[in-house]
Order: sequence, then C-alpha cells, then structure tokens
Amino acid sequence: MADKEKRRSGVNPPGMPAGKATKSDSDREFLSQAGVGDLLRGAILKMVEARSDDPIGFLADHFCNLASVTAAGSGGCGDEEQVNTGTVSAGAQEQQRLNRALWHLRLAHHSQRSAFSNNVRVAYDLLNLTGPQTCAGEFSEGPDGPCTDSPAGGGGVRGGLYTQTLQCLCSEGGVPASTSAPLLRRLHCHDHEAVPYDVFRHGVLTCAVFSDYIRQAQRLYAEVCCPGEGTASRALCLAVLGTLKEALETSQGSDTNYCANANTKVNSCPEANVKAIRYLEASAKISPCKLAQAMAGAQTQGPGGNMDAKEFENAAAELFITRVKVVS
Amino acid sequence: MNRLNPTVPADQYLADSNVLFYLNDAVIQLLEHKEEYNQFGVIRYFAEYFSSVKNSNHVLFREFNYIQATPHNRASFIRVFWKCYRQIGKSGDLLSMLEYRSLLQLLCPDFPVVLVQSAARIAVMDDTIDCLMSFSDFLYAFQLQFYYQEFLDCVLVIYQDLLAGKSPNTVIVPTSTSIEQIPSVSTEENNKEERPQDGVEPSTLVQCIDALCDRSKHSHPPRSCMREILNQTDRISYYSFLMSLAKQEAINQTIGVLPSKAELLIDPEMDQELDKL
Repeated sequence: MADKEKRRSGVNPPGMPAGKATKSDSDREFLSQAGVGDLLRGAILKMVEARSDDPIGFLADHFCNLASVTAAGSGGCGDEEQVNTGTVSAGAQEQQRLNRALWHLRLAHHSQRSAFSNNVRVAYDLLNLTGPQTCAGEFSEGPDGPCTDSPAGGGGVRGGLYTQTLQCLCSEGGVPASTSAPLLRRLHCHDHEAVPYDVFRHGVLTCAVFSDYIRQAQRLYAEVCCPGEGTASRALCLAVLGTLKEALETSQGSDTNYCANANTKVNSCPEANVKAIRYLEASAKISPCKLAQAMAGAQTQGPGGNMDAKEFENAAAELFITRVKVVS
Repeated sequence: MNRLNPTVPADQYLADSNVLFYLNDAVIQLLEHKEEYNQFGVIRYFAEYFSSVKNSNHVLFREFNYIQATPHNRASFIRVFWKCYRQIGKSGDLLSMLEYRSLLQLLCPDFPVVLVQSAARIAVMDDTIDCLMSFSDFLYAFQLQFYYQEFLDCVLVIYQDLLAGKSPNTVIVPTSTSIEQIPSVSTEENNKEERPQDGVEPSTLVQCIDALCDRSKHSHPPRSCMREILNQTDRISYYSFLMSLAKQEAINQTIGVLPSKAELLIDPEMDQELDKL
C-alpha cells in the first residue's frame, strides 16, 4: 500500500491549493475501504507466479474472473462452485465454468509438471460438475471403459465441453483453427461421452505442447524467411522441417509416455532417465548448429521455389499430429 | 520474456511488461472517479481497464505522455489512427502535414507537432513540409517515427557525426570489438570524399548502428532489415534510409498492428454502412 501511495503522490500536480492534503487523505481512505491494496498485491503475486507470455492479458482475465466470482458469490453463498442454478441459465453457467477452467489451465506452463498437473485436476473438477438434478443420468461409460474416480458430481466431463476446452486452448495458444483442426479430430470426444480424467489430461497436455510447438515453428519460419518478401525458399524450409521431424522422432519414446495410462503416478527412476536422455537428444537436434548445418546443406542443393508461412506451419503441424494417438 | 526462460527475475519480468505503469495509471484514473465506485465496482473497473489495454482500446483521447509511455501504447495508438482514418486513404485525398496533425489531435489533444513534422520528413524526404502526402505514405512513416522515436534520434546523431567527419571510433563501445577493428582506411575515405548532402558510407553506418543496438535499451527495428537496406547502396542519407525502413513489410510485421500496404484500405464494415446510404 505504501509504495502505491508513493507513486500516486508523485503525480499530484505541484501548486495545488491547501486542499491537497485532504484530497489525498480521502483518496487513501477510499483505496483502503475498497481493499485496493490487497487486490493489486494479490494480482501481482499471481502474475509473477504464472510468468505468462501475455501479462496484460493475464491480468485482464484475472480481474474478469474475480469480478464474475464475486458477482456469483454476492447472492449469498460464498462457495464459488455452488452457483445458484435457478437464476443463471445452464448454458451461461457452463460457459462460466469453462472460462474458469481455462484460467486455471493457463496458470502454469506444462513444463512445470506438478503445478500443471494440479491445475489440470482443478480444471477437471470444475468441468466435471453437473447440476444436482442430472447427476443420475450422467454415469454413462467413458470411452476408455469405466469411469475413474471422480468427486461428487458427474461421472466425467461432457464430451462437448471437453472438445471446447481443447479448442480454446489451441486458439489461445496462438494456433489458427485450420492448423489445430486435424489435431482436434484425433483428440475430440462426442458430446454424449463422459470424459474421464486421464483422457482429459492427455488432451489438455497435448494441446498445450502443440501450441508451444506451433509457436516455435512460426518463430523458426520467421528466422528462415527473407525479410521483406514474406516467403522462404522451399529448400531451406524443407531442411528445417527435416530437423523438426528428427527431433520429434528422437523424443518418440517420451511421447508414448504421454499416451500411456496417465493414472500411473509412479515415475520409476530408469524410466525418468531414459526420458531425460531423449529430451536432450531431441533438443540437440534442433540446436542452432544442427539447424545451421541443415540449412547450409539445403542451400547448395534442393528443390527451388518458395514456401509460405501457412504451408510451413501446416507441414510442421502434420509432423506433430501424426504422432498423436487417436482417442477412440 | 517467456515461459521457456523461467529464470527471469521477478522485477525484470514486471519491468518488461510495464505492468506497474498500467496499475499506477489505473489507480489514478480510479481515484479521479471514485464517487462512482463501490467495493464490487472496483474489481469490475480493473477488469475493464486491463481488458481495454489488452484490446488496444485504452489510448483513445488520452494525453500524449500516456500514449508515448509504453511500446504497446504506441502501437495501439498507431492502430487506432489507422482504423479511424482509413477512409481518407480510400478517397485518395492527399493531405498536408498540418492536416494530419489535426487528425492526430482529434485522437490525442496534446499530440506534439514536432513528431508529425519528423514523420512527414520521412514520408516525402524533403525539407519542405508543405508537401502533400497520401494516407498510406504518411501512416507507415508515422509508425516508424513514433514507435522507434528514441532509436531514430540516436541514429540521427550518429549520422551527423559521420557527416562531420568524426571517426566512428569516437563512439564509446565498451564491449563491442567490431568497432575497434574498423580499418583506418574507411575513416580516411570519409574525411576526404564526402560532402554533407551526399550521405555517408553505408558500411560504416551499419557498424555504428550495430553498436548502438548492442548498447541501447530502446527498442529498435530488426537488424537484418536495416542491414539489408544499407547493403544495397553505395551512399545513403538519413531520410532515404528511414524512408526505406518505413516501407519495409518486415518491420511492419514486427510492430504488428497494421496490415500490409495492399490491405491497408480494406474496411468491410464501413463499406457495408456506406452501401446502405
């Protein structure tokens, strides 16, 4: 609170009349009454914790969520999960839950394993809730057999909601709809299906990794393309795509870990070591010198013509998507 | 600043994102209207403030100091200017510098004329500021000037030093070794051959600009773009350099708020409205 006041008093124009003292007093009183200090402190802490790529967007979402939570909670019950179904339509409710689940999923990057897993769990629980009156009808068989353990609520996330979550994750991650469509086709579930936790986690993780991957591919293309022309030589692009493919193949071993039963939380030591080695090899394949080698090779031979950004992105996406197990 | 580098210290992360600046401004604006807000309204207020920042709607009618304060604000203002006035481009009218300044002042009441003058000089490469300019010429020149203002000022100083025959070695560069290795031959050539109107030796300018980029904390256009322009000619003057920069699509995309020149005047919603009339 003190540092905020320091900043604020720096802006008060000099030469204001003696009423200035009372003005800043009433300002201070207003700010403390409205709890602005705690509000902003909490927001900054969350922001620094999340280290989002888009801090302003993060803050906007944070305050929007807070506003909707306090609006819902001001009806009398403080528990944010028990939204009064009588007053708000089911569709809007669901949208609200989706927004909150997405917010949780954005908090931690997927490389921060435990934080990300916790957030996925919270998001799943949020989406898993169904209204008390439809509870009985929701215990349909999930796509992978009987439902896994779930908290009080439905027997799984509704398929349509799950697919929507994945779509939002991809588009928020900067992936255009056309690029993510093939991936979503492999991951989506039908609306009538109830999605268990391991499938949900797999889908969310895959989309998060995919968004990073596409962003990286876009950056690679930007490096490779000629400034001013907006396109890159086909040979160079193919060389870059080749190294990407090699890197993906090298980490294939760890991919199967994603696809395998994510219920096993045990990470035996030898397994973890193999994974680590594969990651190192994969990252070595996309290291700058490897890339430079590939590019130097491409410049001396290879097909002519240019490749534009969209084609490059689609090709890169395809390399990734062919490795994703189809959710059946 | 990204998740792939989690070791960025907190205060640097905060500084890079200019978040404290926005929080500060939000609180000031809130206090100016505090009678309108109760406790719940305050959260809604911050939500709307940051949403408008995120959507680049926050700079309209704000004072110049605010608009100039962060790269995001500058970019948003350029975008707002384009959106508000692209119809002028469609009608094909050519306007003078003062007319563009009036348009800018409609969006920002205290927008300084000096900046508009500099932008106009880039657009027409001429000292006579009475020249008429097309909307797209002015817009891209304005974008370059406004977004990279501090960097361009530094480049001008360097350019004038080179014109005056000062050796580039007088530029103090503690860490860069490339400047120290400039052969004395090129500086002798500078002293002997050039006249003020002719411009400078591009290769020397490239090295100076490289050094400037290394030590400057201001944002600058991508080095590859600048090098490409400077490699194409034997002699370059300050304004011809800037004019080429303004037209570079890669720089436009780096800033990321304006479409390319071909798509600049496309405005489907307005077209629909006009069709109705």
